[in-house]
Amino acid sequence: MAQPRASGPGTGHLSSIRPDGSRLGIHPSDVHGRFITWRRIVFAVLIAIYAVTPFIRMGGHPAIHLDVAARRFYLFGSTFNAQDFWIVLFLLTTTGFSLLFATAWLGRVWCGWACPQTVFLEGVYRRIERWIDGPRERRLKLAAGPWTPERVLRAVTKHGAFLAVSWLLAHVALAFFVSVKGLGTMVLDGPGGHAVPFAWAMAVTGALYFNFAWFREQLCVVLCPYGRLQSAMQDRDSLLIGYDIARGEPRGRLVKAKLALAEAPRQGDCVDCRKCVTACPTGIDIRNGLQMDCIACAQCVDACDEVMDKVGRPRGLIRYDSLNGLEGQPRRVVRPRLLLYGGFLLVSALALTVSLVGRTPFEANLLRFQGLPYFLEGTTVRNQFELHLVNKNPVESTFTVRVDSPVPANVVVPQQQVTLGSLESFRLPLFVTVERGPRVPFVFKVEVTDQVSGQVRRLEARFLGPPGASR
Amino acid sequence: MSANDKPGILHVYDGIEEMDNHLPNWWLFLLWSTVLFGFGYWFYYQVSGVGPGSMAVYKAEAAEAARNAASNQPVSDETLLALMLDSQSVEQGKAQFTQQCAACHGQKGEGLIGPNLTDKFWLHGGTPMAIHKTVSEGVVAKGMPAWERTLGAERVRSIAAYVLTLKNTNVPGKAPQGELAE
Repeated sequence: MAQPRASGPGTGHLSSIRPDGSRLGIHPSDVHGRFITWRRIVFAVLIAIYAVTPFIRMGGHPAIHLDVAARRFYLFGSTFNAQDFWIVLFLLTTTGFSLLFATAWLGRVWCGWACPQTVFLEGVYRRIERWIDGPRERRLKLAAGPWTPERVLRAVTKHGAFLAVSWLLAHVALAFFVSVKGLGTMVLDGPGGHAVPFAWAMAVTGALYFNFAWFREQLCVVLCPYGRLQSAMQDRDSLLIGYDIARGEPRGRLVKAKLALAEAPRQGDCVDCRKCVTACPTGIDIRNGLQMDCIACAQCVDACDEVMDKVGRPRGLIRYDSLNGLEGQPRRVVRPRLLLYGGFLLVSALALTVSLVGRTPFEANLLRFQGLPYFLEGTTVRNQFELHLVNKNPVESTFTVRVDSPVPANVVVPQQQVTLGSLESFRLPLFVTVERGPRVPFVFKVEVTDQVSGQVRRLEARFLGPPGASR
Repeated sequence: MSANDKPGILHVYDGIEEMDNHLPNWWLFLLWSTVLFGFGYWFYYQVSGVGPGSMAVYKAEAAEAARNAASNQPVSDETLLALMLDSQSVEQGKAQFTQQCAACHGQKGEGLIGPNLTDKFWLHGGTPMAIHKTVSEGVVAKGMPAWERTLGAERVRSIAAYVLTLKNTNVPGKAPQGELAE
């Protein structure tokens, strides 16, 4: 296809890097339109969820509190301990397959609408930059000009604001790990007594500042592994943002109506205004076709639609479509790839659901005491056990222990009821003594009832002793 | 399509074109920083002799462990009585007691199925070393397990120290058993 190419496939270099390797500052222009409006709403909702979640409490604990230091994980009213870690496998496969599924179906919808990189960059940092430095033209002029006192003042204000926001976001992140209450205590105590969390807060602040003030789109185009994996999951029917070459080419400046009549047959809809290029946060020209740098943010769609409205052409010269759709081929949604990914996702989600629903609110394991398997005392034989109880309820609970033996037995349990706080554990000894006789060995049952959930666990244990008749 | 069709393209395979572009400067900066760091690291630890080598670190840690083992080895009435005055050891012992011992001996040592530890009477001796022996080796025939295998020497010592603090607290509970020991 013979068309001029400034960047992208065939031009051979990254749009955000100059041929000499230096960074090309990207200053996207202001764009208005339906996708931008919707994106702002989505960003606001996502940021609100991020900021409010640490404050929400469920079942007496924060809705999300990943207490890594104590290996206690409170998630939406449920309590998990380190023994529940195996569930993370299904959590990861479910997340992974939903990403595969979403990518094959909707392309980079995650990148453009929900990735924290996009949400915070476009929803917070770029907005601050726009308020302080002004629109694209002013920002370009400022960046190219000398370091006047005004520019210094603007830079100090802007980077101060960036640092403040990064500091705030870092503390919210920390609140997920130490809870809002814990964070408040640490902040009031000062950094001296909490060196490790303080170092984390500062490190995360620094990383966020570096990333959002300077690194920006480089993360998407150079670093992000998901961005690199995209092409393996997408096909010609995946949704993407593309330019309708058949409709747009040959591009050219808009000519006056009278002239246009004569030229109409060979003039495409693209007026070559470059609004789609200046709107792009990764600096590409979408008209060069599908590119790895495109994060499907839809800013070029809104920019082009605005122009199409002005010149009286139908919208959608740049639009959400599939490669097949852009070439006028029939569009397909249901296809083997999507069914396969969807199947994997379904199996994974099912496994996750089963493991979450089947999770018990307490652990009860009957163990034989270390040492000899049985003790002989006169005509009796004694076995010693240990009942290991772990309360995984989010609240305090009382566990009632009942022993059911088929043979007349003298059962000694020091405490028939054990009260444990959330995630506390206890080892309860159990002594069973019976008369020696032909009924040994036998199997007896231990019943543990959890007061909070009402669940009952029945454990079986084998009573051991010398075989044979009584002496 | 041959490689010569477009300027700057070195190699084409299956539609994938290879060029030789300048790497991003920030990327090169990272590369040279790590190379520089590597040289500094190598010089500091391997050449200059200033930084401790792996062998030196290992020997220092082994010596430290040996010192600890040596200082831990002898348990005597004196060391146990000293531990009894060390609040950190007693706290640790109390935590272990609540976890492991309270089921049979009661939360305050007043005795349940196991004997009362707060009176003056002892079944297996009331001296610090006798208590330590009962905890570490157990009285298997009577159902008291040998704890040293499960808990380790340090925790057994702290439990013994805690039990010493219970002596003569006289919490009402199980009736006295064993011999009087002042």
